[in-house]
Amino acid sequence: MAFDKMELRDIEVWDGNFAAAQALRQCQIDVVAAYPITPSTPIVEGYAKFLADGYVEGEFVMVESEHAAMSGCIGASAAGGRVATATSSQGYALMVETLYQASGMRLPIILNVVNRALASPLNVNGDHSDMYLGRDSGWIQLNAYCPQDAYDLNFIAFKVAENHEVRLPCMVHQDGFMTSHTAQGVKTLTDDAAYGFVGDFKAMNDMLDFEHPVTHGVQTEEDWHFEHKARQHSDLMTKVMPKIQDAFDAFEKLSGRKYNIVEKYDIDDADVCVVCMGTSVETAREVATEMRAKGIKAGVVGLRVIRPFPFFEIQEALKGVKAIATLDRSSPNGAPGMLFNEVAGCLFNLDKRPLLSGKIYGLGGRDLTKKHLVDLYTELQANVDAGKVTTQLQQFIGVRGPKLSFL
Amino acid sequence: MSEMKNIKNLKEFSTSADRFEGANLLCPGCAHSIIVREVLNATNDDLVLSASTGCLEVCTAVYPYTSWDASWIHIGFENGSTAVAGAEAMYKALKTKGRLKQPDRNPKFVSFAGDGASYDIGFQWISGCMERGHNIMHVVLDNEVYANTGGQRSSSTPIGSSTTTAPSGRKSYGEKKNKKDMVSIMASHHIPYSAQVAPNKWKDMVKKIQYGFSVDGPVFINAVSPCTTEWKFDPKDTMLLTDLATDSLVFPLYEIIDGHELNITYRPKNVVPVEEYLAAQGRFKHLFKDEYKYLITEWQERVDAKWAMLQRREEARV
Amino acid sequence: MANTGWDEFEIGAMLRTFEGSVDNIAGTLQEDRNYTQNSSFSANVSDWRIIKPVFNKDYCIDCQFCWIYCPDISIIARDKKMVGVDMDHCKGCGICVEVCPTNPKSLLMFDEHIDEEVALAGWPTKEGKK
Repeated sequence: MAFDKMELRDIEVWDGNFAAAQALRQCQIDVVAAYPITPSTPIVEGYAKFLADGYVEGEFVMVESEHAAMSGCIGASAAGGRVATATSSQGYALMVETLYQASGMRLPIILNVVNRALASPLNVNGDHSDMYLGRDSGWIQLNAYCPQDAYDLNFIAFKVAENHEVRLPCMVHQDGFMTSHTAQGVKTLTDDAAYGFVGDFKAMNDMLDFEHPVTHGVQTEEDWHFEHKARQHSDLMTKVMPKIQDAFDAFEKLSGRKYNIVEKYDIDDADVCVVCMGTSVETAREVATEMRAKGIKAGVVGLRVIRPFPFFEIQEALKGVKAIATLDRSSPNGAPGMLFNEVAGCLFNLDKRPLLSGKIYGLGGRDLTKKHLVDLYTELQANVDAGKVTTQLQQFIGVRGPKLSFL
Repeated sequence: MSEMKNIKNLKEFSTSADRFEGANLLCPGCAHSIIVREVLNATNDDLVLSASTGCLEVCTAVYPYTSWDASWIHIGFENGSTAVAGAEAMYKALKTKGRLKQPDRNPKFVSFAGDGASYDIGFQWISGCMERGHNIMHVVLDNEVYANTGGQRSSSTPIGSSTTTAPSGRKSYGEKKNKKDMVSIMASHHIPYSAQVAPNKWKDMVKKIQYGFSVDGPVFINAVSPCTTEWKFDPKDTMLLTDLATDSLVFPLYEIIDGHELNITYRPKNVVPVEEYLAAQGRFKHLFKDEYKYLITEWQERVDAKWAMLQRREEARV
Repeated sequence: MANTGWDEFEIGAMLRTFEGSVDNIAGTLQEDRNYTQNSSFSANVSDWRIIKPVFNKDYCIDCQFCWIYCPDISIIARDKKMVGVDMDHCKGCGICVEVCPTNPKSLLMFDEHIDEEVALAGWPTKEGKK
């Protein structure tokens, strides 16, 4: 091999973007087709620089739009090799058409999504609007809470996506700026250990195998389309979670770092709990501990896997909790909110249903403060005490003006 | 470098083993497949192909059938060029890394797209591919209309053509704008080769395709593709229409090397009046009404002016 | 494939043209290829035709105009000779007849249901210059 290995310290101080870029280097991506957009740009810049400095071998194609970035990734992946890119927000929105095409063609592309709000009004800061936009696109979606997760989950992503029983593209989400631009200590893997974990890329239905010509991207109408979509959904529902669990187990063995499909914190005896994603999970954990000192048995459930949705894992985690709040960081624009709806679906058929309310928070990078969460846990305890939801079902947290609540 | 396929004459060419199959769903008499055959048969090298959404794509890969004997991909309407560019990037990466399964091959990367997918919705993607210097060939099957969606105007539709979105009527002669000059636009990307071809002049086409395959860098080919359905002529007359297109100089055959060196590659012995070309097609039928006849005169003047311009550029050698 | 269920597909709606491995397809004639049922070569569009080309080899000069201009890969040329028409894939467009340069033509269109022998028996003779 004609590239140099990089000597890393056991713990490096990296932000989420650089952690992801390092993971891409260590996975030895063959092709990156990318287009810059804040706040994800440093990921692909990182790959380009590693390439320029001889720490990776491959092709970096700087295309003219995010749509072309994913289009190029699809062509490269179908040709037969390891492919990754990164994007955010409007770029992600422009990619949406191709997201469905990538997953429908069962191409194991890895997309690092540094989550950011969607215009209009234009906003460069973190929320989960872009993540939610792609949630029905047939991709696996993993969720990082900090730079360490962003690093580790990239290895998990390749390991799962490229498995021949899975062959689905995978997104690794991290919060714009809060994770992507916040430098923290990141425990590293050596280049050999990291590459050894993901392994060599094993081609499947590759266009560059001239002895086995292949047709990709056919048309199916009412006579065949449903069966193909059913197959993809079935694989997402049955094959992906076990592979993610296997990858988490293997990764724990390698690194000592344990990931779970649903990250439970102080949930076993919890009366009240929030369900959230991204950096908010870490804030909520801190506040939950503080609430316990005040006598409120608080817990946190963080989604590590967003798609496929961990229906039974969430149900199992929440079944003993008395009052739950879901934290949606995307304007639901006329609906209760994705997490509220999904969690409600998990809980609806339980014999004893917890009280459920939904919060909308943090749009466009608005901070979720510890004070917000203290108030929230206090409110949930009030629901428990009253035996009913004492507020309206949907409330906005941290928005200026009169209190905003619905339903 | 792979060896160029030796094609001296049509008899020799006819020994080619086609890599495109019949029982596709293209209309009887469709010129698309004639063009595809001439392009693919110009080489014996391996092929990685794409088609953008359009007639060719929806007629050759409808599940559970494929008409392609080489690896082929379709993603969407706008990004067929970028699909093969991505595959070409992977080829380069795997070559560098020594991971090609058959490292001795010399694959050619070809993207087929209609004029809608090239002149309009895919314009940016093609421009990007040309600018970045991928070793790919983009072939436009130019039937001057959105035929797959039922005959809407594209930016390749010529003045006076009646389309479903620019129909002729009591107060309109149809399309009001002249066709976009894609060959020049693409040449302006300073690519090694940009050319216009027609399937009737198969030898000219094969020569250009082979030259295109021999250069290092992106190649743009605009192929006139008479559409029996939307140009409204009898399917048996596809080659007659192609002859009228080239011999009236409505579709002059030329090439632009390295973005500047222009060569006219076909000079009709007997130039046919544009009127004959227009008269052969239902889409121009209304131009023969008294009130629109001036448009036919204007057509002829425009074609003459373009031909004069091409000749001057050829002479100037700049 | 008519009754294939959702669990029986190749993932990604991927299709293969050939059974097993192939080498040098550009140098392998159709009759020597091992097509899958998914190649449209295995399909048939003869029911699209209302008129059909009939080939009269007595007048053919093997110029191959019909081969090059056939949109449906239906003119069978082997060893530089015109052999006949692939009636499974011919859609009856009539281009081959239009481009045939012989006098009389070596290919003519007839009603789909006419017997080939009848068509050949009634073949026109050389036309005078118009």
